[in-house]
Amino acid sequence: MSSLMKFFTKIKYPILKAIDVSGLTFLSPVVRLCYGEEPRVQMKKISQWIVIPICAVILFTIVWAYGSTVVKTKSGSVPGPLATLKASESITNFGDYEKAKEEAYSLTGPERAEALKTAKARLGKMDPIVQGATEKVAEAKASHSAKLKKRTSRMLSTRTTLKETYTATQTARKTALADLSNTLTPGNKPDYANFMKQVKQHTDKTDLEREELVKLAKEIKVITDEKSDEVAAALFAQTRAAEEKQFLQKQIDQLTGQNKATKIETAKSEIAEDSATLLTLTGPPALETAEKIAKAQSRLVKTEDSVYAGPKTLGYQIKRSILCVFTGFLIGSIIAIPIGILCGLNTTFMAAMTPFIAIFKPVSPIVWLPICLIIASAVIPAPDDSGFMKWLWEDAWILHHYDINPAFIASAITVALCSLWATLANTALGVASIDKDHLNVARVLKLGFWPRLFKIVIPSALPLIFAGLRISLGVGWMVLIAAELLSSSEGIGKFVWDQFNNGASDSFAKLFVVVFVVGIIGLLLDRIMIVFQRLVSFEGSPTAI
Amino acid sequence: MLELKNCSVSFGPPSKRVDVLKDLNLTVEKNEFVAVIGFSGAGKSTLISLLAGLQEPTTGQVLINGKEMEGPGPDRGLMFQNYSLLPWLSVNDNVKLAIKTVFPKMAKSEVSDKIEHYVKMVKLDHAGTKKPHELSGGMRQRASLARTLALDPEVLLLDEPLSALDALTRSELQDQILNIWENDKRTVVMITNDVDEAVLMADRIAPLTMGPGATFADEFTVNMERPRARRTLNDHPEFMRLKTQITLFMMGLNKAAQKDAQAPLISMPDIRPRDFALPSANIRLKNKKDQPTSAA
Repeated sequence: MSSLMKFFTKIKYPILKAIDVSGLTFLSPVVRLCYGEEPRVQMKKISQWIVIPICAVILFTIVWAYGSTVVKTKSGSVPGPLATLKASESITNFGDYEKAKEEAYSLTGPERAEALKTAKARLGKMDPIVQGATEKVAEAKASHSAKLKKRTSRMLSTRTTLKETYTATQTARKTALADLSNTLTPGNKPDYANFMKQVKQHTDKTDLEREELVKLAKEIKVITDEKSDEVAAALFAQTRAAEEKQFLQKQIDQLTGQNKATKIETAKSEIAEDSATLLTLTGPPALETAEKIAKAQSRLVKTEDSVYAGPKTLGYQIKRSILCVFTGFLIGSIIAIPIGILCGLNTTFMAAMTPFIAIFKPVSPIVWLPICLIIASAVIPAPDDSGFMKWLWEDAWILHHYDINPAFIASAITVALCSLWATLANTALGVASIDKDHLNVARVLKLGFWPRLFKIVIPSALPLIFAGLRISLGVGWMVLIAAELLSSSEGIGKFVWDQFNNGASDSFAKLFVVVFVVGIIGLLLDRIMIVFQRLVSFEGSPTAI
Repeated sequence: MLELKNCSVSFGPPSKRVDVLKDLNLTVEKNEFVAVIGFSGAGKSTLISLLAGLQEPTTGQVLINGKEMEGPGPDRGLMFQNYSLLPWLSVNDNVKLAIKTVFPKMAKSEVSDKIEHYVKMVKLDHAGTKKPHELSGGMRQRASLARTLALDPEVLLLDEPLSALDALTRSELQDQILNIWENDKRTVVMITNDVDEAVLMADRIAPLTMGPGATFADEFTVNMERPRARRTLNDHPEFMRLKTQITLFMMGLNKAAQKDAQAPLISMPDIRPRDFALPSANIRLKNKKDQPTSAA
C-alpha cells in the first residue's frame, strides 16, 4: 500500500511535466486535484478551463441546432448537429462495408464458407426489414400529404372561387369596355381620354387580381413544399436498410463468383481442361487453343496479384491526405531550412534571396497547383515506364497503398511551396539572432564551419526552426484540402468535391462532418509540433514570429 | 608569455572615433597570476577580448610566446563574464564539447574520465546532468570554469568571473580558483573590480585608468607568501597596506576623472533681484483694487 502511494507521489511531477510539454495544460488542475493539492484553487481552474469550454460547446450546439432550421437552401435545410452525426455514421458505415467487401474478396476455404453463411442468413432477414421501411416511408408520405391537404384545402378552394370570380368580373368589365368603344365619336378628345382612363383602370385591376392569385398560389406552395421530419427519418431508415441489403449482396458476390480464390480456381481448371484438349489437337486448332491457354495463364498471374478494387472510403482519403501533407511538409522543410540557415548566416545571401521570398510568398495555392500539375504530369513517368515509379506503386512499404500519382505529387509540392515561407523566415531569424556569446564560445574553441553549424548555430536556432515548422504544417494542411479539391487527388479535398457535386440527401451534412474531421486533424498536427517545439526549447530561447 | 605592446582599441566611425583603450603595455610571465583592476566602463572586457584574440588591436601588437597572436584559440581559455554556457547542453556536455574540440582523437572512455575530473574539480559532480538554467549563478560560473579548464589552456583569462556572485559563493570560488592554479600552475589574467579579491589572489595588480582612452597605471606587486590564509588576512599588515594604497589610488583616479569630466564654467550674467525683502503680501494689496478695506 505504502509503496503504491510512493509510486503515485513519484509520478506526480513527471505527469505534470508531460502535460506541460504536450500543451494540454487544462489537465494539470485535474491531476493536482487528484493529489489533493489546494482543492479550491484547482476547482476554480477546472471550472474556468474545462467546465466553461464545455458549456460554450453546448451553447454553440444549441444555437447551431436552432439556426439550421431557419436557413433553407436548395440542398435542403442546413444540417443540424443530429443530421451531421447521422452523416458521420453513414460515412463510417460505408467504410465498414468496403472493408468487409475487401476482406471477403481474399477469403478462402472454410472461412469463406463461414462468412458466406453469415452473410446469407443476414440477407434473408433483410427483405422484411427493407419492405417494412418502404411501407413506413409510404405511410409517412401519405400521412404527411394528408396533413398538407387538410391545411391547404381551404386555401385551395378560396383560390378556385377567387379565380372564378375574377375571370367573371374581368369578362364583364371587358364587355362593358367593348360596348363603350362602340359609342366613341372620332375626334372627341375628352371622350377618348375617359375611355383610355377606364381601360387603364381595367388593366390595373386585372394585374392586381392576378398578383393576388399568384401570392395565394405561392403560399400554398410553401406549405406543400414543407419537408416532414417523419418522412425524412423514414427515408433515412429505408436508405440504411437498402444500403445494407445491397452491401450484403455485394459481399456475397465477393465471397462467391467475384472471390479471388474462386476466380483462380476457375481459371486453373479451364487451363487444365484446355491443356488436356491441346494434347489431342494438331494444326490451326492447336495454335488457337495454345494461344488461349497462354492468355489465360497471364490473366491468372494478374488475378493472383490483384486486390479488391472498390471506391475509396473517407478513412483512406484521410490517410492519404495526411501522407500528402507530410510529403509536402518534408519537401518544404528540406528546401526552407538550409536556405533559412544560409540567409541567417550570410547577409549577402539574404539580400540575394529577398526578391524571391517577397514575390513568391504571397502567391496563392490556386496559382501554384495548375503549374505543379502540368510539370508533375510531364516530368513524372507512368509506373510502367519507370522502375522507381513501379516500385512506388507496387512494392514500396505502406506507400504502395496510396497510388503516388502526379496529382499527389503536385498537391504535395503545392503544399511545400505555400508552407515553406514560415519555416524559412523563422530559421533565418533563429540563426541571425544567436547569442553573440555563444558565437564567441565557438571562436574560442576554434570550431570549423561545420562543427560550428551543428554544435552551436543549429541547436541555438532549433526552437525558432520548430516554431516555423509548426506554422508551416498548419498552413500546409489548409492548402492541401484546396489543392486536392482542384487536382482531384484522392483525399479529403476530393471527398469535399464529390459531396458538393453529389445530390444525395445527406451530402450537405457530410460536408459538415468534414469540417470537424479537418479541424480535429489540424489540431492534432499542431499539438504534435508543439511537443517537438517544447522538447527542443531551452531557457531563454527566442519565441516565434 | 603574454605581451601587449602599445596596443590601442578604438570604435566608431572615423569622424567620431572613440579610443577605448590606449597605449597598453603589459607583460605576463609564465605561470604568473595577474589581476587587472578597473572601474566599470573602463574597457576591461575589451581588454580581455584583446588578450583572447576575439578583438584585434587598432594599433600595436598582442604577442603570445613572442609571436603575434592570430585570432582566438583554445590555448587561451577565456571564462566569460556571463558564463556563456550553451543552454541546450548539460554541464557534462558543455565540458565534453570543449574536450572533443581540443582533443578530437581522444578515446571515449578517456573523454568521460576527463569530464568527470573537471566537473569534480569545480565540485559540480552532483549536477553534471543538469542544464544551465537549472543551476544557480555560482554553479553556472563553476561549470563555465570547468569548461575553460577542460581546454587545458596555457593561459587562463578570467573576465570578472566572480562579480555576479554573492559574497559567500564568491569567496568559495576564489579559493577554488586559487587551489586549481596552485596545484596546476598556469598563467592567469583575471579582470576584477574588487580590490580585496585582487590582492588576495594575484601576484601583480595592473590598474586600468578611467576610460575613454584607458591605459595601465603603475603596477602593484603583491609580496605576500602563499597560500594566503583568508581568515587572518585582515590582520596581515602587507594586505592592509596594499589594499589601502590601491583603494586610494583608484579613488584618486576616479576623482581625477570626474574633474576632467566637469563641464567648463560658463560665466553667468550679473543679474540680481532688486530687493529680496519685498513682502509678497504687500504686492497683492497694492495691485488689487477691489479688495475691501476693513476700516470703511
